[in-house]
Amino acid sequence: MIVGLWMLGGGAAAGVFGSLLGLGGGILIVPLLTLGFGLPLREAVGVSLVCVIMTSSAAAGVYLERHVANLRLGMTLELFTAIGALVGGSIAFLVDERILSLLFALLLAYVAFSMFRAPVGNASPSVDLATVDDEPGVEDPSPPTVLDRLAGDGYEVRNLGRGLVGATGAGVASSLLGIGGGIIKVPLMHLSMGVPLRVATATSNLMIGITGAASAVIYLVHGGIDPYVAGPTAIGVFVGATAGSRLAHRIGLRYLRLLFVVVLSYTAIQMLIRAL
Amino acid sequence: MIDPGRAGARHAERLIGRLLIGITYLAVLLLLVGVALLIGAGVSPLAGGPRLDVGRLVADLLALQPTGFLWLGLLAVIAAPITRVTIAMLAYARDGDWLMVGVSAGILVVIAIAVVSAVVATV
Repeated sequence: MIVGLWMLGGGAAAGVFGSLLGLGGGILIVPLLTLGFGLPLREAVGVSLVCVIMTSSAAAGVYLERHVANLRLGMTLELFTAIGALVGGSIAFLVDERILSLLFALLLAYVAFSMFRAPVGNASPSVDLATVDDEPGVEDPSPPTVLDRLAGDGYEVRNLGRGLVGATGAGVASSLLGIGGGIIKVPLMHLSMGVPLRVATATSNLMIGITGAASAVIYLVHGGIDPYVAGPTAIGVFVGATAGSRLAHRIGLRYLRLLFVVVLSYTAIQMLIRAL
Repeated sequence: MIDPGRAGARHAERLIGRLLIGITYLAVLLLLVGVALLIGAGVSPLAGGPRLDVGRLVADLLALQPTGFLWLGLLAVIAAPITRVTIAMLAYARDGDWLMVGVSAGILVVIAIAVVSAVVATV
């Protein structure tokens, strides 16, 4: 009973911190379950995938209701994250767990470094949607291209090829490491494809569901998802992420972020030790 | 004035959004019941839960076994985004947007391949 409550609490903490700092829960859940509860890494990844799908679905539902996410762009990229997830999920059961631990340690170190360098501010995206151009203009007689059809209100999408390659890579990383992959997809869409940050964040969140589902079905069939662990952890993460999104505007993030850099660095070292 | 095609797409997005939220809350409810039954039975989560056996799901639910509620909740979580893509595909087909119908169908095919390849690998 005590272990179940610890898992609920640990999941809630991962959900709160993940939400406050703009990270998906996956990057915290895998170390929590491996280092905290002694689960094999692959099993922790399976549980983490369920948790990221759950938080993604709840958030994506709200984003879609408010028309913030770009559904067409998200689904187009999703096709490729799903292909990446299929490849990664298939590789995950062939690769030595020590290699996965090493990859995870590198990921944690990268996130810690990025967080240390990032300017202090609210973790939630603050860039507003571009204004809609309502000015009547001359009708363009040419038929819309694929990129035209993926554009949103007030912005155009560019570099689709680069986006598709990056999305495939994000899918592989997601299924190998149990993360949502937002740390790849958001910069990819925002910096490379010209999508406003808020839309990129919402669309990335939407995509996590299908990426995670494509991986999760592989873990499910391989027996890589333990329902006894996934149940309490997923509820904890869901409650924590919901609370975190409400606390985000009330908490100063400067010290929290520094604390988190220390925690992530320590966790990266522990995962590295596990890999050696 | 918003054109009818755009209005239809926004309506579909709203519908899909509500569907995702609804399935997520249903999944949370099922998982809560499963965890409460698990804790009530004094079973440690680290004891190792059984693998999914679809044939036993209904029997486990009727017998109020935690496994039944946990697995149904987890399946609902995984099914939510897949349902979202299916609904979007139907909405795009209704609007005659065949490019997006193809993209949606492609996603569903990839997921089907993932299931089949995993089953083949475990046999």
